[in-house]
Amino acid sequence: MIEAILFSVFSLGAVGFALNVVFRRNPVHCALHLVGVLLSLSGLFVLLNAQFIAAIQILVYAGAIMVLFLFVVMLLNVRGETPLLTPGAAKGFGFLFALLGFVELLWIVLGSGGGEGGASKPVVVLPPGFGSPVEIGKMLYSTWLFPFEVTSILLLIAVIGAVVLAKRKFV
Amino acid sequence: MESPVLPLAAYQLVAAMLFTVGIVGVLVRRSALIIFMSIALMLNAVNLSFVAFSKAHGQMDGQIFVFFVMSVAAAEVAVGLAILVAIFRNRETASVDEVHLLKG
Amino acid sequence: MDLAFLISSAAKVLIVLGFVLLGVPLIVWMERKVIGHMQDRIGPQRVGPFGLLQTIADGIKLFMKEDLVPAGADKVVFIIAPALPVITAFLALSVIPFGDTVTVLGHTIPLQITDVNIAVLWILGTTSMGVYGIVLGGWASNSKYPLLGGLRSSAQMISYELAQGISLVSVILMTGTLSLASIVKQQEHGWFILPQFFGFVIYMICGVAETNRAPFDLAEAETELVAGFHTEFSSMKFALYFLAEYANMMVVSGIAISVWFGGWHGPFLPPVVWFLIKLSLFLFFIVWLRATYPRLRYDQLMAFGWKVLLPLSLLNLAVTAVVLTLAANR
Repeated sequence: MIEAILFSVFSLGAVGFALNVVFRRNPVHCALHLVGVLLSLSGLFVLLNAQFIAAIQILVYAGAIMVLFLFVVMLLNVRGETPLLTPGAAKGFGFLFALLGFVELLWIVLGSGGGEGGASKPVVVLPPGFGSPVEIGKMLYSTWLFPFEVTSILLLIAVIGAVVLAKRKFV
Repeated sequence: MESPVLPLAAYQLVAAMLFTVGIVGVLVRRSALIIFMSIALMLNAVNLSFVAFSKAHGQMDGQIFVFFVMSVAAAEVAVGLAILVAIFRNRETASVDEVHLLKG
Repeated sequence: MDLAFLISSAAKVLIVLGFVLLGVPLIVWMERKVIGHMQDRIGPQRVGPFGLLQTIADGIKLFMKEDLVPAGADKVVFIIAPALPVITAFLALSVIPFGDTVTVLGHTIPLQITDVNIAVLWILGTTSMGVYGIVLGGWASNSKYPLLGGLRSSAQMISYELAQGISLVSVILMTGTLSLASIVKQQEHGWFILPQFFGFVIYMICGVAETNRAPFDLAEAETELVAGFHTEFSSMKFALYFLAEYANMMVVSGIAISVWFGGWHGPFLPPVVWFLIKLSLFLFFIVWLRATYPRLRYDQLMAFGWKVLLPLSLLNLAVTAVVLTLAANR
């Protein structure tokens, strides 16, 4: 019961904020609404027994990546574009393709018996500690060690790349 | 731990809606910053989908994948914004309509 | 979810809220008196005995001032921005254990609003959300000094978050748990200050930098950037930023006490009293820092955070990991 209420609140919040991200003029407002999406998703993650991922979402995505976005928006002083949507056929095609994509996703989600969560599959009992940092750590450092190390190298490359790209070249 | 009271399809529907809104943002908006944000929105929709499936199957591989998606998203945002700053410095505009030619 | 749990949680929330709201005027008075005496003057002494009501008088004055919104400012963000650091400070305070259990009417109630099993991650997350109040306040003012001050201040905060997190991770290596209640319980026989002294020093420096207190307060110093990000805020909005700064000081002290100084452990006196004593000592220490050290210049500050504190905290983490592995293998 409470889970259904929380789910509705967080999902409506996520979709509402997402629509605001796309259809607002001022980029700072868009960034703030994206933070709202991230926080709503974090709530949904907690409902899905993914506590570590929820905390990391707040820490990393909402707390660091979006601050970076805000910095760039404020430093570049980007104004909202006018007109908001591209006039003419391009706008129509954009919405059409998005609608086609949504219909396809709906077909997959609802068509396959409710995404395998329907009556056919037995109810899954979660092992204790599901979603806790201990279990994540155990998996991350044993089965998924190689991607973990590669990700660290990827982040190093990204840091170096960002510094090189954004540096002012003093002649 | 009890099994999902809510059907998996509910979470997948929300993820599908978020993904679609992200697609609309990428296709319709002209400001590069908003396009970046829409891409981040799509990545988050995929994260939600992964976590929902992870709970439905009782395996944590979905959550580990979300961890990696988040790291890659962070790297992508950093480099993408650096490119945007470099372009903005040269062209004084952040609209993708006006920077579609390599010629300055 | 039974009634006893609801009532006890609501009571704890009200107690913590009341404590912070009533404690902040006291801390402000203590700061003015202590800095006054350290500077060989007396500090407030006219309003009330020993000047105790001075902060109340200041609060009334702030309340009565005209609430300006600058022209061209973004109204919604301008109004919401001061509330954000207060919200995040209270969210972080909700997981700090301020005492052992008490037994009321047959129910044992732990003296902590909620014992989340990812408490340390929660605190790191809420402190990183606190940056938004600063950066949005600076931007929403539509004025150059606040914007510069806000951007500088938030860059400083996100830089010092890293070393802060890594020094906390060193302790977590030792405890094996992220829950603050268990971390405090594990310090029954020895506080973590002894093995993790350098981690504590790094954390304290980062904590002071996180709250934009001296000597790291260049972004809001009166002599440098008018008043930094809170230049254009008047009346209650300024009071909210002020409240947020002292509430964040309490958060930083509370975490340092719980993680390194044994939380509420102590002989003879009840645990809550020990927590309050340690909290007062920490707040006095932070005020002492303000009275003693000159301000760091902004580039010195950023260099210090990235080039000194971050490598040192990583070294601390590596040494802790090596020592723990060797001790486990013995």
